[in-house]
Amino acid sequence: MRSQLAAALARVAGGDRAALRIVYQDTCAKLFGVCLRILKDRSEAEDVLQDVYVTVWRKAATFDPGRASPITWMVAIARNRAIDRLRMRTAGGRLEPIEAADAVSDPAPAAVERVELAQQHQRLTRCLEELDARHASAIREAFLDGATYEDLAARMNVPLGTMKSWIRRGLLKLRACLER
Amino acid sequence: MSDDDTIDPADRGKLTAAEYVLGVLGGEERREVKRRLAHEPALASEVAFWEERLGVLADAVAPVAPPQHTWSLIEDAIPAAEAARPTSLWQSLAFWRGFGIAAATLAAASIAALAYIGLVPATRAPLMATLAGSSGQPNFVAAVTATGNSLVVVPAALLTNDPRAIELWLILPGPNQRPRSLGLIQPGQPIRLTIPPDLAGHLTPDAALAVSLEPPGGSPTGLPTGPVIASGKLTSL
Repeated sequence: MRSQLAAALARVAGGDRAALRIVYQDTCAKLFGVCLRILKDRSEAEDVLQDVYVTVWRKAATFDPGRASPITWMVAIARNRAIDRLRMRTAGGRLEPIEAADAVSDPAPAAVERVELAQQHQRLTRCLEELDARHASAIREAFLDGATYEDLAARMNVPLGTMKSWIRRGLLKLRACLER
Repeated sequence: MSDDDTIDPADRGKLTAAEYVLGVLGGEERREVKRRLAHEPALASEVAFWEERLGVLADAVAPVAPPQHTWSLIEDAIPAAEAARPTSLWQSLAFWRGFGIAAATLAAASIAALAYIGLVPATRAPLMATLAGSSGQPNFVAAVTATGNSLVVVPAALLTNDPRAIELWLILPGPNQRPRSLGLIQPGQPIRLTIPPDLAGHLTPDAALAVSLEPPGGSPTGLPTGPVIASGKLTSL
């Protein structure tokens, strides 16, 4: 049986506001953490978070539990919005450290989903381990920070072409490994 | 991307989706991918692949409680967003045909549904629901008989040949209610369903109906497992 979260999303698709509240309570800390990590600015992350749940409200009917887990579907929406916002910043955007934030416990997803996510995580980790360590770490950083090729090249102190080549080769190998 | 000529051109296309999901593209390149996503299903499915596979990397991010007031801001934003519901499975997957005749078929379906349930004299007013997709496109009309023990569902739009089964669900009000299956319905013809006795009393104007796509034979889990393609509230005539 799928998780409560998938069931709540099905009800959100039917226009049930109470169900959206359940979805929010279960996922807001995770998604706020994701937005904050990318934007490194609490007030911008708050704006994006609101936008994320309005998007979830509108798009719940397109969520297909047979193809995606509810939490990765929502993480994808949050990252997408946060990265769009990040790209809208003018050049020379801020890169301040994250202010002290209250970490909270992660609400536990339903058992079945937890097992599935753990399996997926294990699989991805195994595939990342097959890559050159620098390629794998560039991929992780890009995902978590929403950093562009230019940002990553500067951070890791390599030419832009080298960074592109690392990530592209890494992604192609990863694709092949994940499909095995 | 011409600055990296050591990668096989055939792989370049696949890479675009991965680079987009990873987030390494600049603003203009991202917008270009978003534009293409609307009409390139192969690219969209590659993006979905990466979103699902890479998504677990977010486990490394520590959860952070958002401010208390965020929820009320979201709640305030919802009615406005709902009025403008733009996205839909219907449009993105070209799932249904015949958008232009929607109004006429809706009217015809409503009349058909009423004819099916019959104008039986009863103390109770019949309930109806128009089940629409997220774009507002009506796809089914459902009517509950005055006796409250059966339900007629009439298609108001034409389904393409999707091999999946179409299952009807009763969504009861309240935070802890799971969707309850009312059975499978047909894309091309009206169908009468008998309402399970334990649910018969629950078809009230507070409840809603929803339609999901399921494996042949219906949901194996007792809960919707596929996308919800239409839903609507029951209203008293």
